[in-house]
Amino acid sequence: MQFRLEKRAEPSRFMLYATPVGAVILTMIVGAIIFSLIGYDGIGAVREVFLTPLTNAYKWQDLGIKAAPLIIIGTGLSIAYRANVWNIGAEGQFVVGALAGTWVALATYTMSGPWILPLMILAGVVGGALYAAIPALLKTRLNVNEILTSLMLTYASIQLIYYLIRTVWKDPMGIGFPQTRRFAASAQLPTVIPHTIVHLGVPIAIVVALVAWFIMSRSVFGYRMRVVGAAPHAARYGGFSENKTIWLAMLVSGGLAGLAGVLEVAGPFQRMVPGFATGYGFTAIIVAFLGRLNPLGVIFAGIVLAITFVGGEVAQTTIKLPDAATGIFQAMVLFFLLAGDILVRYRIRRVVTTPAGAA
Amino acid sequence: MPHRLELIGITKRFPGVLANDNVSFSVKPGEIHALLGENGAGKSTLVKMIYGIMQPDAGEIVWDGQRTVIANPKAARALGIGMVFQHFSLFEALTVLENIALGMDAKIPARELEARIRAVMTQYGLLLDPHRTVATLSVGERQRIEIVRALLLDPKLLIMDEPTSVLTPQEVEQLFEVLRKLAAGGCSILYISHKLHEIKALCDTATILRGGKLVDTCDPKAETSRSMAEKMIGAGLKDIVRAPGRTMGAPKLVVSRLSTKKSGHFDVPVDGVSFTVKAGEIFGIAGVAGNGQNALLDALSGEILGEDKDAITIDGYPLGLLDTTGRRKHGLCAVPEERNGHAAVGDFSLSDNSILTARNRLHMVMLGLINSGAAKTYTGKVIADFAVKALGPGSTAGSLSGGNLQKFIMGREILQRPTVLVVSQPTWGVDAGAAAAIHQALVDLAAEGSAIVVISQDLDELLALCDTLAVINAGQLSEAQKVGEVSVEEIGLLMGGVHGTSEARDAIPA
Ligand SMILES: Nc1ncnc2c1ncn2[C@@H]1O[C@H](COP(=O)(O)OP(=O)(O)OP(=O)(O)O)[C@@H](O)[C@H]1O
Ligand SMILES: [Mg+2]
Repeated sequence: MQFRLEKRAEPSRFMLYATPVGAVILTMIVGAIIFSLIGYDGIGAVREVFLTPLTNAYKWQDLGIKAAPLIIIGTGLSIAYRANVWNIGAEGQFVVGALAGTWVALATYTMSGPWILPLMILAGVVGGALYAAIPALLKTRLNVNEILTSLMLTYASIQLIYYLIRTVWKDPMGIGFPQTRRFAASAQLPTVIPHTIVHLGVPIAIVVALVAWFIMSRSVFGYRMRVVGAAPHAARYGGFSENKTIWLAMLVSGGLAGLAGVLEVAGPFQRMVPGFATGYGFTAIIVAFLGRLNPLGVIFAGIVLAITFVGGEVAQTTIKLPDAATGIFQAMVLFFLLAGDILVRYRIRRVVTTPAGAA
Repeated sequence: MPHRLELIGITKRFPGVLANDNVSFSVKPGEIHALLGENGAGKSTLVKMIYGIMQPDAGEIVWDGQRTVIANPKAARALGIGMVFQHFSLFEALTVLENIALGMDAKIPARELEARIRAVMTQYGLLLDPHRTVATLSVGERQRIEIVRALLLDPKLLIMDEPTSVLTPQEVEQLFEVLRKLAAGGCSILYISHKLHEIKALCDTATILRGGKLVDTCDPKAETSRSMAEKMIGAGLKDIVRAPGRTMGAPKLVVSRLSTKKSGHFDVPVDGVSFTVKAGEIFGIAGVAGNGQNALLDALSGEILGEDKDAITIDGYPLGLLDTTGRRKHGLCAVPEERNGHAAVGDFSLSDNSILTARNRLHMVMLGLINSGAAKTYTGKVIADFAVKALGPGSTAGSLSGGNLQKFIMGREILQRPTVLVVSQPTWGVDAGAAAAIHQALVDLAAEGSAIVVISQDLDELLALCDTLAVINAGQLSEAQKVGEVSVEEIGLLMGGVHGTSEARDAIPA
């Protein structure tokens, strides 16, 4: 008796949604085993990482503010990836969006008014989109692979933070600390639930995902992204130019990463600091895939990955899990998801081989 | 003599369709056996089970007198069953030799493999240089790789699913020589094709399927193409009906000095093509494959953007600079020859495939949003009017049989009532009954005053369908001639400056 893969006539809908759940469960099981083997309390680690953030109500606000940027960036990436445009540099666009917002905040430091925050948000979106325009330009004009350029620009953006906060934007009161001054009140993102840290970015994230879902499933824009990704030749025949699609995908995903960046700097940070780039832009890649490149799925996936962030911090203090543990859990989720994806298109069949058929 | 292959009561069911219903027949050693049937009759499904790609739900396969379960293609190859698919699985960037080596079940040193490949090629007169990169090969040459790959296994049964639809007439002749040699050496051949004159020329026996059931077995040499077609559809074949006293109107589509740039290595561009099609006229473009037909279609449809706005006009309105969407809005619709991934998206539903080309002309879009209800209604109409065998507008394009997808695509464009319709290979892989229906639909569209351009390699189709005929050769178009005033020989001669099939290019360097 042996097993083999048989191509399904149509991709399995059930598996499409079951594999992300399966990937998370498998991550917990394998994670527990691995951490036990290397001498930690494996089951405790999984409990702290995946369950404590949910059972401890005090952690919910952390979940919200960590999930928000993941959902916003993940939504943008899910749109670009649908069209097979591989923007890997959301982290850089996130940073540049935040820098653009910081610039507005610092330039309006002495002013006040309700127009400042919207202007910052606008600057953030534009900044992120412009930063994503560089790989788009290189791809469409010179056919340079966008994976490389967008990724490398991430490192450039982080150097840009260091440069700006050491020189022109350095806090005059900062006793030598390389960081900007704290934003004025009009440039700070308000909280939406009193006495918590849950800021306006959280509802914005949900709205962004819902709007994106509507657009992707009902509009010509969404159709364009899907058809370019599924069959580029047919897309051209249907009147969707490849270059325009690359531009749209890059600008939308970059703009949303920039939006997440400005919300992050105006919300939790309220100033630009050297450690601003914490990897949301990379984790959002996992979020996009775990969410099945579907904005509604991205909401759930964003929450799952936020759990690992929050839980990772918990486990660091309670059972002394190393900092890298969070990354390991996140990587395992992606790994099992991609491996499980084969079940969407193939089914496992048991075959009984007879001597004549045995090869 | 025992049968080489015997099928007993083979049944295969897909959701909503019985693709094979209790099919039994047998193939003798050295026999060339045709499998005929309408689109969706279940031919491909049946051979996929023989090659181990799918498993029957019921029934038995007897191989050389022994009951056998063919678990997978590897097991099939081990038994001596080879298959050549219509769509090749080759790596473009690798050489012929590397491609064959990758497909082998057993690892053989490159030198030995090359020697064996050369031996097989000489034995069967399959000329091909093992060191050429696949990207530089014509479709016919690529198919030869697949055949060599199958022959290296010394097959006792070779299955060919619509092998000739992509070949030039010369290549078809060469293929038949190879198959006859193989059969003479005792290899059985199971041959699927919709080209009935080929079946008559090649095959010893024909098994006819209809709706998944075996309905007849006959000797193709004793039948006419028409009688076989009628057995397939189970009814009389309709002739094209033209309204009497048809007149052509004013010039509608005017193409003047249309040229494209050479893009890929082996892509033949069009060079200064000019022609005029009147309202009500069907204009045929004959020619051997690979003479610029693809570039011509893409330049007309707008997939290749032009540089001269007056190169293409409809009723005097210049379309030369518009993209496909712009041209469709002005009444020019087109169907490229490749169905999968070009004219249709296999993973999308038929309804979503309608949106691909019909969204603007049929107002399926409002304020950037898609009206999926309208798309569904239209798709249902295409399915009904063109007798497409599909469960409904929600079926994915990839689940349709080849010919049914072609019917859907043709219907999708024709029912948009375009002013000008340009089609390439409109009846590729379509059965005789459906081909007649598509031809009739084209004639009816012309009768309503549309101008139609048909690009085809099938001269019989063009002669039956067109009012005017021109020949494309090496990217250039001959003078247009009236069908009826021009002889087949003349056209053959025009096609003859045959480009790209010289023996020199095919020769194996010693
Ligand atoms: N993977 C599949 N899933 C569902 N239905 C299928 C699948 N493959 C084939 N069918 C259906 O089974 C029937 C037979 O299909 P098949 O491809 O065998 O036809 P065919 O005789 O080869 O036709 P054609 O001449 O058009 O190639 C069709 O109705 C087709 O839609
Ligand atoms: Mg078929």
